[in-house]
Order: sequence, then structure tokens, then C-alpha cells
Amino acid sequence: MTTHNVTIPVEVGPVEIAQERRAPAPAQREVVFDIRDLAVNYGPTTAISGVTLEIYKNYITAMIGPSGCGKSTFIRCLNRMNDLVPGATIDGQVLYQGQDIYGDGVDPVEVRRRIGMVFQRANPFPKSIYDNVAWGPRVLGMKKDLDERVEKALTGAALWNEVKDRLKKSGLSLSGGQQQRLCIARAIAIEPDVLLLDEPASALDPIATTAIEELMHELKKEYTLVIVTHNMQQAARVADLTAFFSLEVTESKRTGVLVEYDSTDKIFTNPSEKRTEDYVTGRFG
Amino acid sequence: MRSTFQDELNLLETTLHEEGALVLRALRGAINALEQRDHELADEVIAFDDDVDERYVKVVEGIQSLLARQTPVASDLRLVLAMLHINLHLERMADYCVTIAKLSKLVPEVEPSPRFIEGFEEMGARCEEMTRIAMDAFADRDLARAEVLVELDELVDRANRRVVERILELGGAARMREYGLRMVLVSRALERIGDHAVDIGEQVAYLLTGEFREFTDASHPASREA
Repeated sequence: MTTHNVTIPVEVGPVEIAQERRAPAPAQREVVFDIRDLAVNYGPTTAISGVTLEIYKNYITAMIGPSGCGKSTFIRCLNRMNDLVPGATIDGQVLYQGQDIYGDGVDPVEVRRRIGMVFQRANPFPKSIYDNVAWGPRVLGMKKDLDERVEKALTGAALWNEVKDRLKKSGLSLSGGQQQRLCIARAIAIEPDVLLLDEPASALDPIATTAIEELMHELKKEYTLVIVTHNMQQAARVADLTAFFSLEVTESKRTGVLVEYDSTDKIFTNPSEKRTEDYVTGRFG
Repeated sequence: MRSTFQDELNLLETTLHEEGALVLRALRGAINALEQRDHELADEVIAFDDDVDERYVKVVEGIQSLLARQTPVASDLRLVLAMLHINLHLERMADYCVTIAKLSKLVPEVEPSPRFIEGFEEMGARCEEMTRIAMDAFADRDLARAEVLVELDELVDRANRRVVERILELGGAARMREYGLRMVLVSRALERIGDHAVDIGEQVAYLLTGEFREFTDASHPASREA
């Protein structure tokens, strides 16, 4: 007969469940973006209207909603990407660290240096892996210790080990998932505060998607992340806070509005708004 | 609209209500077997448990499959979780019916006061009522009805205490002691069935409010009176 020596702990501490997944308490939140009554018009068409929310430092904030609800339009306002769209007008305020990024004398290039963006389709330059990452720092005159900077960015994007022996090869020679991580490396090489990710994994296979999602958990330690995703489960897996956008349809207009913004747990277990409930459970949209 | 998913959810809920109806039949059968000392009926109740278990397994497998394939969220998620718990409670209630049926066969030939039988009849009827209310509250998504279960359970608990007091008065004859011992267990089984009905009510409350809370807290009984 075997005997088992079981050590019973005398004191059992409080059970901590998924501590790292839990967002910091509201009291500890530091506001990065304070968006007030934001509206975007493309010519006569109103894309979004009346959007008011705050985005917090070192959080992953996800924007979900049906196609055409304005979630991409929304995050493109956060680094003035909509400036590049002819006929686009923006009302309301986007305060970044308390400063209106649409205010007089604000340089959109400087805004985009602080607030980087990664797009749905990986879009590396037709240059070497190294040059893809080094390009931003060179343009901005951050030429000191460039090799180290490139390595740090590639490591931060969880790509270094896969490419360290072929940095001179073309960025286009990488797989889709690697190309997307290269774009993330390119974005973080210039040390932004915020990373905006517009459907970063929608063109990727499940393994590459998992790699990007794991990377996001790592990145949020240093950066503030805002992600637009069609994939609700992706929002549920990665985001601390989730904002649900929907379309308000009247006789003549379809306008994107923010319906509900809360902790991801709340949105996916017990949302306050019926429209959110209908969307996340698949009864609508 | 995810109609296939909704159909699957509805089928699971229907199966759970079938299980609830079977538990009610098992409970009535167990009480009758006890009151009438009907060993044949007791055997039927014991065999009948397989029917309950069949539904139990069907619900568990259905939920497993739904979780793996459909990723339910929000009220769908709460429904799936509530059904998982309710299923377990119903299965336990049916097991207690089997316990009562088995004990009814072990009762020695004694003629105790008819007050015993009255006591069990009362507890049994109350447990039936509670089970019915719990499953109706679930079907109708009715929080107020679910909360009524707490007061009904208090009546079962009181009846349980009365039965135990009567057992203590049975005296020291060996057969009476054996009878009393068996009856304590019957009373306890009925009392537990009432508790499980309350637990089902708690699941209904969770489904409707999204908050886990115990209707009563056995480790802090003072809160019950408050």
C-alpha cells in the first residue's frame, strides 16, 4: 500500500482568478483619450455622431459593431487619419493627454508619431525587414543605436527570433502573420504611446491570429491599445474594455452611434443595453 | 439570427423540463411507497432513476457541445450555465427519491403513530410544490416566484425538525430505534430536496439578473431572520 504525504497549507490566501486579465480598478485609470461628442461627416453623409468616451492608459479597448457602424471611422479620428479623406469633417473634441489634437497649430505628423496605426492588411514596404523597421526612426532622426532599436521593436513584436538571421531579406518574403507583426514592429519602432489596430487579424489564419492576440497582451504593458474587430470573440479574448457601436437608422439617414461602453466581462455576460445583447448573442447584425 | 443555435438551446431547456417532470413523479412515488409500505412501487421508483439520468446526460452532453461550437454569450451564456446547474440539482433530487424508496423497503414491521406518516406527507407535498414552483419560475423567467422558495423551504425545515422530535420520543425498543434511524434519513432526504429547489430558484435569479447570490446563507443563519 502506498501512502501519500499531503501537506495541507495552514493559511489559505484569497483566491485570485485571472489577475492579469482583469483591468485595473477604475480609480487607478489614467485617461489617455477624452473624446467628447465626436461626429464625423463625409460630405453630406454622417458616419458617426455624438460619440463620447474615455480611453485609458495600458488598457486594450475594443470597438465592436456591425459593418458600417463607424468603428473604423472612430479610431481613424484618434490619429487624424480622416484628415486624408477628401470631404471629411470632424466635430466635437478629441483630447489626447488633455490636448485637442484637432486644435490650431497641432501637427498631424506629430500626432501620428505618438499614436501609431496597424491596418487590416499587412502593408510592409517593398524593402528589407530591417529597413521596414528602421524607416520610421530614420525619418524622425532617431538614428542613434539604430540596430538596437530595430532589434527591440522586432522583439517587442514577437518576431525577432524568426527573422534575426535574415534581416536583409524582403519584408514581402514573410508569411501573412509575420508581415502583420512586422507592421507592428514598424509602428512601435518610433516608441508611440498608443497603438491603433484596425482589424489586425482579420486576414490571418488562427495560429497567426493567436500570435497577434498574445502579442497584444504583451504590448499593453507598455502601450495603450485600441482595436477595431469584426470578431466578437477576439474582443472578448483580448480587450479590457469594449465599446459597442451600432447604426441608428431613420427615414433618410444611417448614423453610427456608441450604444454601450463597459468592461468586456460585462458586455459579454450581462450587457445593460438590449441592442448590445441582441448583437453579441447574434440575434441581430 | 442564429436559429440553429436557438433551436439547440430550446431543445436543452425542453429536456430539462422533462427531467423536472420525472423528478416530480419519482418524488410522489417515493412518498407513496413509504406511506403505503409498497415495496413494488419502491422498486419502480429506484428503476425510474435511469430515466432521469438519461435526461441528465443528454443535457450535459448538449451543453458541452454548445460551449464547444457556439460560444454562447450574455443571456445565452447565463442560460447555459443556469441549465448546467439546474440539471445537476434535478439529478440530485431524483437520487434522494431513490434513497427514500430504498429506506422504505428497510422499514421494520412496527406500527408507529400515524403522525409520522402525516409528517412525511406534509414534507413530500411541500417538496413537490417547491419543485413545481422552481421549474415554473425557470420556464416563465419569474424572479418573484423563485424568491418565494425561501419561505417555502423554511416550512420544510420546520417539518423536518418536528419529525426528528417525534423520533426522539419513540423510545428505546430496538425495532423502534431502527425505525427511527431510517426515518431520520428519510426526513433528511426530503429536507435536502427542498434545498435543491431553492438552489434552482437561485439559478433563475442568476439567469435574470446576472448576479450570483445565495437566497439564504446557511453559515450566517441570522441573515435569514433579518
